[in-house]
Amino acid sequence: MTGLVSPQHTQLARPVELAAASALRSQATPRRWGRRLYLAANIAILTFLLAPIAIVIVFALNPTPFIQFPPVGVSLRWFEKFFASRDFMQALLFSLEVAAMTTVAATVLGASAALAIARGNLPGSRLIVATMLSPLMLPAILTGLALFQSYVLLDVGRPVWGLVAGHTLVTIPYVVRTTLAVLHNFDVRLEEAAQNLGASPARTFVEVTLPLVKPGVMAGGIFAFIVSFDQFPVSLFLVAPGSETLPITLFNYLKFDLDGTIGAASVVSILLAFLVVIALDRTVGLRSYVKL
Amino acid sequence: MTASSRRFTLSRRRLLTGAASLGAGVIAAPYVARAEEPVLNVTGWGGKWGEVMKAEIGPAFETEFKCKLKTDTALPFLPKLQASSRSAPIYDVLHTNSNEQWAAVEMGLVEPKVDPKLVPNMADLYPYAVSDKIVGVCIFTSAIGLGMRTDKGYANISSWKELWDAKYNGVRGGYVIPVNSLGQAFLMMCGTLYGKGQTDLDAAYAALEKLKPIKLVDFTGAMEKLFLSGEVGLGVIHDSGIYRYDGQNQPIDFVTPSEGVLSLEQVLSITPGSKVKELGNAYINYMLRPDVQKRLAETVWYSPANKRVKLDAKYDAKLLTTPEKVSKLIQVDWKWYNAQKDEIDSRVNRIFRA
Repeated sequence: MTGLVSPQHTQLARPVELAAASALRSQATPRRWGRRLYLAANIAILTFLLAPIAIVIVFALNPTPFIQFPPVGVSLRWFEKFFASRDFMQALLFSLEVAAMTTVAATVLGASAALAIARGNLPGSRLIVATMLSPLMLPAILTGLALFQSYVLLDVGRPVWGLVAGHTLVTIPYVVRTTLAVLHNFDVRLEEAAQNLGASPARTFVEVTLPLVKPGVMAGGIFAFIVSFDQFPVSLFLVAPGSETLPITLFNYLKFDLDGTIGAASVVSILLAFLVVIALDRTVGLRSYVKL
Repeated sequence: MTASSRRFTLSRRRLLTGAASLGAGVIAAPYVARAEEPVLNVTGWGGKWGEVMKAEIGPAFETEFKCKLKTDTALPFLPKLQASSRSAPIYDVLHTNSNEQWAAVEMGLVEPKVDPKLVPNMADLYPYAVSDKIVGVCIFTSAIGLGMRTDKGYANISSWKELWDAKYNGVRGGYVIPVNSLGQAFLMMCGTLYGKGQTDLDAAYAALEKLKPIKLVDFTGAMEKLFLSGEVGLGVIHDSGIYRYDGQNQPIDFVTPSEGVLSLEQVLSITPGSKVKELGNAYINYMLRPDVQKRLAETVWYSPANKRVKLDAKYDAKLLTTPEKVSKLIQVDWKWYNAQKDEIDSRVNRIFRA
């Protein structure tokens, strides 16, 4: 194409190109600055998010029984103490059990509710959504207290299922929200196509609906697990003597012994959360819901 | 009957029947379990106290009294007790510090006193353990005094008033008064030191103003760490918080000021609606038994309330085990304090926020 341009045109084009290049440069400078600012803001946010974890790790590895900065060495003594403690190990296992049960219950109930809300043509569906999400608006400590009072009135004590029910109550909103987000963009014609091709409603649900909503359900399930595993205010009232969750055990411990064991327990909790996410990614695949 | 008709089918009726049976079973389970052996629900501490209670003292009590001891170590105890029915309280015996016991008795959640006829070991207690400043009965006490670093070249401390010395600016330690009973007791001490007595709040507020700058902590255990790290050189603390590091080569020591030490009592009381009061009294009597007192005192460095307890020499030298040492104890009027708590909280928050 350049061969077809006459020298006259070239002469004329040069100042235009130069002007355009200059304009582009003048535009690029603020854009470059904007990008740098954006990068700096992201680094600042990441630092803000990761700094507490870094402090916890330093505390867990520091040999002194108090937070000291800079650390005076590296030691695994607090991890040894944590893993050697029967109370901590019982609490850790119990927390995992409760979180697993909560995840199943919240996922089944939350996903079913979201499907019913999105597809059921229910009257007052907005009110139902608001009700399903209301546990997030109420301070969790009040939810715990209210449930505790209910159990006392029913005279059932503080059973494990009561604790799981409490955790499920505060984790269902996450599953409902993420499943509804997927259902919002759901193409109903896919289900209609399956049924037109002879699939029964049950088969359509299993082979078409479920795989399409899976990213939202899985995302909600992961939230449910993590929120339950770290749950403190609801558990505060609902744990029974001898069956304390890890956050409650840590709270009781730090009232009397504020040493690096707390840091070691926190590091283990963080690693477990990572492991759960990795395990889920390997088993069911999480990349798809990253789009959410 | 065909094979297919014999196959299990889950009808709606079966599902509802099954669910109802399961629900009834779950609700009935506690009653069935309760019928087996009496259960005593108590509160208690975690940490070393919890460890020795769980490993030795609790099981020994269960064996001796053929019951199940359930100890709730998860705070907060008072709101839970308050939320449960008065006729079927969640706890039979409430173990807390004295300030909470006074709050509980004001709400009618615990009985004001324990009957000495039902708890024979109460006959051997120091007078402070059953004084009019105590709801229920005190089983142990700690002494709230001053803790100090011994490696900073500070001169010998003999008075509470030395905490106000300007040379401790930057290394002075205390507590967030609204949430910590040591801080609350110290506020009353300020009234005694600089005013007409514990209830002289104006004098106490003025003294607190002059105490700034001061490092404040909410958890009692956090003060120990500030001493160990050297962030605090002189501060308010209970003796157990210093003595527990005995033998660990830490440069910290406890000071008993000449004006006396404040009492931080461990108190047991019985709830009025308890269905196992006899067992509750037996538990209190058991906790006051010399051998139990000795084991716990030597585990957590609490001074036993029973005067017949003979501690090993190193504990005996430091804890309040004689009438002379016990006479140094100053008990706080928690009933009065709790009545003024809202006003005090608001005022001290203003003092330390500024």
